[in-house]
Amino acid sequence: MKLLLFDDYRLGVLNKEGKVVDVSSNIENFNDMPPNRRVVEVINNWSKYQPVFSNSIENDDGSDLAGHKILPPLPKPGKMVCMAVNYMENGTRSEPAPINAFLKSSNSVIGEGDTIIMSEQDAIVFEHEAELALIIGKQAKNANSADWRDYIFGYMNFIDVSSRGLGAPPMDSFFAMKSPHTSAPMGPFIVTADEIPDPLNLDVKLWVNGKIRQEYHTSDMAHKIPRCIEWASSITKLNPGDIVPTGTNHRGLGPIHDGDKIEMEIENLGKLTVFVKDPLKRKWADETRLERQERGEEVTMAPRIK
Amino acid sequence: MKLLLFNNDKLGVYKGDKIVDVSSALSHTKFYSSQDMMNEIIANFENYKSKLQDIVDANEGVSADSIKINAPLPYPNQLVAMAVNYMEFGARSAPAPINAFLKSPDSVIGNGDTVVLPAADAAIFHHEAELGIVIGKKGYKIDAKNAYDYIFGYVNFIDVSARGLGNGSFYWGKSWDTFGPMGPCITTVDEISDPQNLDIKLWVNDTLRQDFNSNDMGHNIARCIEWVSQTTPLEPGDIIVTGTNHQGLGAIQDGDKIEIEIQNLNRLTVYVKDDLKREWPKGIDQATADRAAGRTTSGGFGERN
Repeated sequence: MKLLLFDDYRLGVLNKEGKVVDVSSNIENFNDMPPNRRVVEVINNWSKYQPVFSNSIENDDGSDLAGHKILPPLPKPGKMVCMAVNYMENGTRSEPAPINAFLKSSNSVIGEGDTIIMSEQDAIVFEHEAELALIIGKQAKNANSADWRDYIFGYMNFIDVSSRGLGAPPMDSFFAMKSPHTSAPMGPFIVTADEIPDPLNLDVKLWVNGKIRQEYHTSDMAHKIPRCIEWASSITKLNPGDIVPTGTNHRGLGPIHDGDKIEMEIENLGKLTVFVKDPLKRKWADETRLERQERGEEVTMAPRIK
Repeated sequence: MKLLLFNNDKLGVYKGDKIVDVSSALSHTKFYSSQDMMNEIIANFENYKSKLQDIVDANEGVSADSIKINAPLPYPNQLVAMAVNYMEFGARSAPAPINAFLKSPDSVIGNGDTVVLPAADAAIFHHEAELGIVIGKKGYKIDAKNAYDYIFGYVNFIDVSARGLGNGSFYWGKSWDTFGPMGPCITTVDEISDPQNLDIKLWVNDTLRQDFNSNDMGHNIARCIEWVSQTTPLEPGDIIVTGTNHQGLGAIQDGDKIEIEIQNLNRLTVYVKDDLKREWPKGIDQATADRAAGRTTSGGFGERN
């Protein structure tokens, strides 16, 4: 099932024709709940709501998505625990980097059609990182990796926008680099786990202005999903509605600029489109890290040219 | 006013040593968590203030021993912690570059609760006594000149830290469940005339470990608010903890009682549990103190026994 928030934080489910059916009235006290809690309520009580929603989409023609404002499906998640450096880079790494993560502020979330507003701070470059995000369905604390499926409610597209060089590197500077306002585009839907039988066998794609930048497969993930859940939950409990973006393959990363349109699509998760605004209109070389690497450049992040 | 949460979902105010239940001031509104309730009070304090005061004046209150005090911000949306933010009694020639990290809201615990040391093979677990700034008003890209307009109050905070895990990763070092003792109360700004001149003390088993003043801060409170809000919008009920002076850090271990008291913020007491019963020397970790003060650039942490 594909769940979304739309218009004034109504809860919607897509029917077979891909039209949105408003299921908000099935949820008790819906209007009293803050938006994020509406979705957490559904996740917490999925066995109750699942048959109700199934029935709704069978019997309701729904309405075109185009006529609605699609919102981020978890507008203020309790936590976003993001995996750091978690791909084998198409097998070019000899071994996974040591497992690591960081927290991203829930105030960085934006959704479909929204705009990333680049910080005026003097970052080296701003890059897109297309990521498969896990949506937690059940509290995990010291979870056993073998039970990983028990903890996953669904999956979602996620772009971990990164402002390189901010903070105080080499000290862990993830806060300044990853938490800037509008740095977490997500959506357009949460797709429930039953529709994604193998999350480690998905194509991930990201385009900037129609040109493909990132194109990789989740089978290249370094610390696989079961290990990510086991490890992250050994430190802090993961709660229903928490988001765990699983990292990106860096080869296709490149700069984002004022006026850019960014699209991201993971197989079966729908397409997410967001835009970019830079009040300072800065310019970087329009190249990916891989293109620069193949030309023998030592610094693979695109240099600033204006 | 000194605001607190107790018995899970009750709002209280200190009256001397006693605590008055003022929950009836918001009985008309439904909350989905006690954090939401506290956010509502903080965001609309001007509307609640006199009502709360009336209830306090009309009631005697109960003794603190008869209730369970919870963390006053039990699940903050943003718990932003300043990194390396003291001059170490003036030992540093300049402040370290300004930096921060997010700490998991699941790390928060309250008075009387227990810090549970994980089995992870940390070099040492430290207490870090810190002044917490509670945000009272929405703000983004706040100018340091106006920063105090955004402060609702102050709270004791202990940034419990696991050292030597994940090559300096803050998630790995700081976000463990139970590693964020906070409280017992939020003291509103009107009761703290100069937050940049407060004595901060922390005891382990009744022995004083940390004893410093907030005037030794590297980047002052106004600058911290300015800098953090360049990155992320701040909202009522968010908290910025302002870093610690590392002179006086020491190991915490199974059975320890930790107390922190910042001037006029009352005293917070928590306990420590370690199922592995690991032992470190009791007292100050001099290796860490020397490194933080720049007296040495090498060396590890206090060695485990």
